[in-house]
Amino acid sequence: MSVRSVDPPAAKTSTGRRVLTRPLAATTYLLRNAGKSIPLTAVIVLAVMLVAGIISMINSIPLSIRVIYNYSREFTGITPRGDAAKTQPILDEIKKKSPIPIERIIVCRTTATVVQSIVGKWPFYIAGLEQNDLQYYLDRQGSKSLEGRLPAAGKPEAVISRPVAQNLGLKLGSELLGPEKDDGFSPNSVKVVGIADTERWVMLTSIEYLQDFHFPPIDIGILCAPTPAEQSKLDLWAEKYFKGRPVAVLAYHQVEKDTNDMFATLYQILNVVIGTLVLVITTMMGMLMNIYQSQRLVEFGLLQALGYTKKQLLSRVVIETVLVVVFGWLLGLVAAYGLLNVAKRTLMDPKAFALNVLDPVAYAYSIPLPIAILIVAIATVVLRFRKFDPIGVVERRIV
Amino acid sequence: MLKVNSASLVYQDQGRDLFACREVSLEVRENEFLGILGPSGSGKSSLLYLMSGLKTPSSGQITFDGKPLSGMDDASRANLRLKEFGFVFQQPYLLGYLSAIENVLVAQPSGGTIESATDLLTNLGLANKLHRLPHELSGGERQRVCVARALMGNPRVIFADEPTASLDHKNGVAVVNLLNDLRGKGALVMVTHDPTMLERADRIVRLVDGHISEPD
Repeated sequence: MSVRSVDPPAAKTSTGRRVLTRPLAATTYLLRNAGKSIPLTAVIVLAVMLVAGIISMINSIPLSIRVIYNYSREFTGITPRGDAAKTQPILDEIKKKSPIPIERIIVCRTTATVVQSIVGKWPFYIAGLEQNDLQYYLDRQGSKSLEGRLPAAGKPEAVISRPVAQNLGLKLGSELLGPEKDDGFSPNSVKVVGIADTERWVMLTSIEYLQDFHFPPIDIGILCAPTPAEQSKLDLWAEKYFKGRPVAVLAYHQVEKDTNDMFATLYQILNVVIGTLVLVITTMMGMLMNIYQSQRLVEFGLLQALGYTKKQLLSRVVIETVLVVVFGWLLGLVAAYGLLNVAKRTLMDPKAFALNVLDPVAYAYSIPLPIAILIVAIATVVLRFRKFDPIGVVERRIV
Repeated sequence: MLKVNSASLVYQDQGRDLFACREVSLEVRENEFLGILGPSGSGKSSLLYLMSGLKTPSSGQITFDGKPLSGMDDASRANLRLKEFGFVFQQPYLLGYLSAIENVLVAQPSGGTIESATDLLTNLGLANKLHRLPHELSGGERQRVCVARALMGNPRVIFADEPTASLDHKNGVAVVNLLNDLRGKGALVMVTHDPTMLERADRIVRLVDGHISEPD
């Protein structure tokens, strides 16, 4: 039926002017009433941008935390509980019993400091490694190059990665730990001597320095599997193998689980907020659509009197509404992407906070919006059409 | 062609029956100009809506080519209006976002030819205003576009409901003459309260309080 056509076909008159041969095509009204259809689309764009933007920003909180601890994807940490002397026997046992190949076992010491996370100060560990393990560890963390050098054995020196330097505002020669620092205490001023070019968050010093100046005197075993898949298997095997024994196993999937648990309540609150937002926006859009369509009563009455059926007119309105809503939604996604890029560059990147500008969850959360708007808008029009009498229009009782 | 058999149209007003038309019977013949004359509130417009299928009679029957309109579903009646009938209303209603020629093409949803629409508007003296939007036309010009829309597709019956109501006398006479001159083989049914507008009518029926008082 021509009235349902989306694209208005056009021809020319003898004067050469363009004329729509099917003037009731769905796009005609929208394009020729831009003053009405643009604000309507803009409201949808803003709503979609708002929802997708909020979700992305909220998702950046656990994402940032996970990114900070991404380094632990590369190894399985093993530490004894209650007896510091047990580290080496445990590592020897693992060498014998592990069904998963182990590329390298590193023994390290750690001390704690803090980084600036998206939710404030967040604990982070400085690992003290032996000299021959430092470069291996950096390579494993994807380091492409090193500005400066590695820390010397026993010296108050550290190598950090680029995101850490960015986050804490450090450069070569800056103090990472020191006697005056409450959050990162060390009896000596530990200076940054190297900055590794990797996306991972890394702080390393020599094991000798931590053994000489830091507590507790517990060595941690770092088990490195040859591949990421084998690393995951090693994590699971170690957890199962040492279950019930005085051994702590540290694995990346625990970080993921802990982060998810930590933000579970936040997400529940968020779902309520988004639900309310969608309800408010949908109601508002329903009212706007109602006003928008009310302004067209004369048109609908006239066309119905001329011989167009309610079904034809409704189809046209539905197509117009779908076009506005879908176009508004798509434009909203593009706008959200733009807004998130600006937020990433100006707010997040300077502190190395993670923000996924293409977060599928955020964009998925915006899907109920066009659907709800569409349902409310169409329901509003259907109700109006059911009671609509074209004679009221042609007799000028309804104008 | 179009027959009205004892048709009544009753409205309910606070529990009372209010007759807009009471047992009206008349026939519209091929190619005739039928005038329906009556004062305001006499039921002229209601009769027109019954005849054109815009309203269903409370009792009685309206047939077109022998088929009762009340036996048709809404879609069939709408299709009949679109293909066989043309309408000119009291007010020159046009779609504000369409040009004059596009407004005329609305009457032919399956794709009316630009040539026919151009010819109609040219014959109605609007050759240089084909692409004007309704707000760029005078009241008389708008009504002439409505006339062109009613004539588009050569309908078999053209219903005109006080088409001169919003025009001055001179423009009113001009519009009626154009309707009559350009209707081709179509019948013209025009309701009005102004007898001077029906000078060229083939027949006139007078309506008073919903009744036909005297056939011409």
